Amino acid sequence: MAPRILIVDDEPSILATMAPLLRARGYDVSTATAGHAALDAVDRQPPELVILDLGLPDLDGVEVCRRLREGRAIPIIVLSARGGERDKVAALDAGADDYVTKPFGAEELLARVRAALRRADGGAAPAGLINRGDLVIDVDRRRVSRGMEEIRLTPKEFELLVFLAQHPGRVLTHRTILKAIWGANAVDQPEHLRVLINALRRKLEPNPAQPRYVLTEPWVGYRFAED
Amino acid sequence: MWRQIRYAAGSLAAVAVGTVLLEAAGTTNPTTIALAYLLVVLFVAAIAELWTALLTSVAAMLCFNFFFLPPIGTLTLADPHNWIVLFAFLVVGVVASQLSSSARARAKDAMDRRHELTRLFDLTRDILLTTEREGALEAIARHVARRFELDVVSIFIPSPSGGWQIHHGGATAPDLADADLNEAFASATGAIEFDARTRTYGGHREVASAAGTLTLAPIRIGTRAIGLLATGGRALESGARDAVAGIVAIALERSQFLEDRRSAELSRQRAELSSALLASLSHDLRTPLTAIRTAIVNLDTAALPEEQRREQRRVASDQLVRLTRLFDEILDMAKIEAGAVEPHRAWVTPAEIVEAGISHAASSLGSRQVEIDAVDDVGVEIDPRLTSSALGQLLENAAHYAPTGSIRVRAWTDGDGLHLEVRDSGPGLQQAELERLFEPFYRGQAVRQRVSGTGMGLAIARGLLAAEGGRVWGENDASGGARFSIAVPAPSRHLAPVE
Repeated sequence: MAPRILIVDDEPSILATMAPLLRARGYDVSTATAGHAALDAVDRQPPELVILDLGLPDLDGVEVCRRLREGRAIPIIVLSARGGERDKVAALDAGADDYVTKPFGAEELLARVRAALRRADGGAAPAGLINRGDLVIDVDRRRVSRGMEEIRLTPKEFELLVFLAQHPGRVLTHRTILKAIWGANAVDQPEHLRVLINALRRKLEPNPAQPRYVLTEPWVGYRFAED
Repeated sequence: MWRQIRYAAGSLAAVAVGTVLLEAAGTTNPTTIALAYLLVVLFVAAIAELWTALLTSVAAMLCFNFFFLPPIGTLTLADPHNWIVLFAFLVVGVVASQLSSSARARAKDAMDRRHELTRLFDLTRDILLTTEREGALEAIARHVARRFELDVVSIFIPSPSGGWQIHHGGATAPDLADADLNEAFASATGAIEFDARTRTYGGHREVASAAGTLTLAPIRIGTRAIGLLATGGRALESGARDAVAGIVAIALERSQFLEDRRSAELSRQRAELSSALLASLSHDLRTPLTAIRTAIVNLDTAALPEEQRREQRRVASDQLVRLTRLFDEILDMAKIEAGAVEPHRAWVTPAEIVEAGISHAASSLGSRQVEIDAVDDVGVEIDPRLTSSALGQLLENAAHYAPTGSIRVRAWTDGDGLHLEVRDSGPGLQQAELERLFEPFYRGQAVRQRVSGTGMGLAIARGLLAAEGGRVWGENDASGGARFSIAVPAPSRHLAPVE
């Protein structure tokens, strides 16, 4: 059965072009032009993915994100025309999985849709052993190796790596990571995170200047590379 | 002169009255009589000046000698007794007169100080209540001239480019040589020392000018001289002058603060505006671009049915129209801000303007019904392009912000010129926003989230109309919707039917 996608945008031109784009790739597309309508539609028939514009007429997009997240695991891709990092970060913090900034290329959006659906399909976070290319993370025994070489990480570095690797392909905001690693009190100290990421990259990446595993989302957060 | 004669007559009268009273009492004891005369001398000395007291002393002694000392009826100065009496009268007269005149001087001094304080207080109040921006320094100088009754009050501030900025507030504007000012300012910028007796920090200087002798006092903030205050027409104590200069300094500083605050507020508003502009432009540019890009990808999809292909082409071309209009608006706005809009007047009918306005707004109006009531038999000399574009902006506004119901347009002329009116049946305007609606990039609170837009439309309408002397305003219609009106002053004439 074709995955169902709900597009929420108040711009008729966006709906009129994106719906055919996704339908032509075999998705079952429905649309909504306002926040409340979108929430109702999700309640009636939960889709596999929501594409959500942040500038909605009735409800703030970030608020829609938060409400969609309540008790549901539907992946959300945020469309932002504002170009403002703050809106994006707020939406990601409120539960969105990924974002694309208008004007985006159709291929870029389609790739993000595929990745989000694949992640959702993959089910629960991988436990025990995580493989990514030649990188092997043994969560239970707290060991990391690349190829034949064992990598020694401090407890915090290991915690960070596992947290990132458990959400491959998903944008994790600074705030989300800080909260997961250091607790709610540390969310306003992104410099801790920057230092730790640098330390982790030096040990993990073959070339820390061009990271392959831990990717930077400028001004927003980090993303662990997918296969 | 008359005053002195009056005083002399008064003192002699006092002595005469005393003599008559003593005669009437029939007193013969010389000591009692001498004491009584002494009282008269003391009384006169207490209220009159020194010379009156001396005159009284001599008169009293002569009367005492003539009327009461034997041999009565003669003046016998040879008696040493008389000299002692005269000496006693003179000493009492001089001492009492000195005491009283110094007391009077002190009282006058205190009075003067009080007046001065009152004037300074009034001046301070005047200055604190001054909020005018243009000519603030002139206003300060005027206040000083009025409160201290001075003919000449001028404030000289050295301008950064050399020379002096001069602000006159008195009835006469003195013409002082730059050299005098430079010299006075140079001496004022030296060391300062407080003189407690004259209550002044010094540095005052007298200069001669066509308006008489003027005194230049330094205007200081703290110890730093920032300018000079010239006063003339009435002598002002140097302490008072320093106090006035101090108040002027505070006023200057205050007006500078007010100016700074205003410009800070302005730049804050400008920053807010430009960030609002960027956000709205960013949305208005990116959305059509996204739609066009996606439509092109869709058109490349081989499997797309022909009907959907047409739909994609339509969306793309609509979005191109939208982008074009946005660029037109940006250009219009830039032209208006650069003052580059020039009116070209021509004779047209109100009906033609309405027709052009509706075609300008055609894409926004779509299939909306527009009720037209326009005069077509009167010509009016206006710029048809500017006027119809402005009307088009009002119609687009009505189409966007009153999405349902009818839109009514009225156009007519009268003795003042052309009048246009656009009424909708939307939610109407908020009273508090009526003024701000026409500011560039301002968007109504209630519609900001609901309707996308740049906030340029009404500002463009106002800018275009202003170029031909016209104006536009908004209000709520009695029927509930919004009503926007345009008035363009222009000659009009009835068009006779051509046979």
